[in-house]
Amino acid sequence: MNILEIKNLHKSYGKIKALNGVSFSIPQGSVYGILGPNGSGKTTLLSIILNVLNADSGEYFWMGKQPTADLRKGIGSLLETPNFYHYLSAVSNLQVVQSISGRGNKNDIDTVLEQVKLTERKNSKFSTYSLGMKQRLAIASALLGNPKVIVLDEPTNGLDPVGIAEIRELIKLLSTKGHTIIMASHLLDEVEKVCTHVAILKTGNLITNGTVEDVLVDEDVVEIAAENNEALFNIIQHFDGLKSIITTSETLQLHFVKGSSNTTSINEFCFKNNIVLKYLSMKRKRLEEKFFELTGN
Amino acid sequence: MFSILKTEWLKIKKYPAFWWILGITILSYPGINALFYFIHKDMTRSKDMAAQIATAVFGSPFTFPEVFKTVAFSSSLFMIIPAILIIMLICNEYTYKTNRQNIIDGWSRNNFLLGKFFSVLIVATITAGLAIIVSFAIGIINKNSETVVQPYNQFKYMIYFYLQTLSQLSFAFLLGLLLRRAFITLGVFIFYSVIVENILEGLGRKYTNDLGRFLFLEISNRLTPLPTFMSKFGEERYNLLASQFNQHIWLTLLYTLIFWLLSLWIIKKRDL
Repeated sequence: MNILEIKNLHKSYGKIKALNGVSFSIPQGSVYGILGPNGSGKTTLLSIILNVLNADSGEYFWMGKQPTADLRKGIGSLLETPNFYHYLSAVSNLQVVQSISGRGNKNDIDTVLEQVKLTERKNSKFSTYSLGMKQRLAIASALLGNPKVIVLDEPTNGLDPVGIAEIRELIKLLSTKGHTIIMASHLLDEVEKVCTHVAILKTGNLITNGTVEDVLVDEDVVEIAAENNEALFNIIQHFDGLKSIITTSETLQLHFVKGSSNTTSINEFCFKNNIVLKYLSMKRKRLEEKFFELTGN
Repeated sequence: MFSILKTEWLKIKKYPAFWWILGITILSYPGINALFYFIHKDMTRSKDMAAQIATAVFGSPFTFPEVFKTVAFSSSLFMIIPAILIIMLICNEYTYKTNRQNIIDGWSRNNFLLGKFFSVLIVATITAGLAIIVSFAIGIINKNSETVVQPYNQFKYMIYFYLQTLSQLSFAFLLGLLLRRAFITLGVFIFYSVIVENILEGLGRKYTNDLGRFLFLEISNRLTPLPTFMSKFGEERYNLLASQFNQHIWLTLLYTLIFWLLSLWIIKKRDL
């Protein structure tokens, strides 16, 4: 089942087209990363599915149903900046969230504050919190009542490296328990470490989407090196199935059609031609590399 | 509905600014009416000619049943005080974007508006309740040995004051919703209620057969007319206002409904 289906969403702010017919689906149990440069439409998209913004046209469905406030109650969300009552403490703010959403009980408030390491400051007013603490409270709010679907917009914003690592581990843990997590982020490294699926937006258009594997890998790249790379280059050109060779300062990158490379065959071929390889590795494209490639940066 | 009320209570129960301003409101209404009462008492207390003239002119605006009408009128002059509370409650939600968070957490936009409607209703009820308490207090204090035939026959002005308060606080709410900034809304509300509407009402009376009576606040201001003694200073005008009275009850209800329907439309249409 798809947790969320988005169909042909359009949204403009005056002349600026923020979303241009975006459509994709989010499978249950996935950790879905929504990536894009600044102004690509990530937050606009999340705002629409959380009913903060009205789409100009298009529709979306939560769990196959028309979106309603009651459905939203079961979704833990963090959108843009943390929005809480500045004169209330963390506990009191979460009581308001609980009262509206119906998620969790009194004990759950202490539990989520413990999860985000805010227990010591739980009775301090929100106005006295640092940015990182505010972000942690927002995450706690999203986790309150253990919702099955969690939407996070830049969850690591304002957090220190320890905090970032903690959130990463938390997301992984939630994922193993079957939660569906929808996450917009700029930190490609983090997305690559935790996400199972990604969608990449650019100026309101969906560039690509799918599993991380599908998005990252569009061809096989095998990296090899020998004592004499020039001789290796002359030999390897004749290897069957090779699309292209890119020479770096220390290695040769061999590009094949996705799924067609065979490192054993490459090794045997070089050996038969009297070249002993000192390095052989199947290279996986980094998400960052793919992101820049797709967004034209 | 109960959960909406509970949530609104959670929002304000630990909000110091709210309780300070509510406290000021609660003190203001007895204070305002006490002020008028003591001025009247001062003018009519002594046995000299001036005091006797004053007594003849003013009559007994602070005894039963006239006290209800007098307190309704004098209280209606200071609607800005409870309006501050309402403006603060709605504008703060926009300033701190907590209105967005309420929707994200699972309220519909209708729920959000309903919560604010309850807040306006409760503040209007408190304000009217204060006026009733003050009326009885002044009436009892000022009771003389004469037997009054129908001491409570003008209690209806307390109901009209309640209706007026609800209508004008609804207008203040709508302004706050439109402008979203507390100080600007307050400034506009004061400027409009004290200056603009009075000028327009005056011009309307002079040039357009009193069309000014349909202005946003004037429509309900006419539910709390001047005390009876003021009829001596313009009987024709006083009687005209009295004749339009029932019409203004229905129009006030209609305007209040329109304010809330407009508020609903704005909340539904607007991006948060």
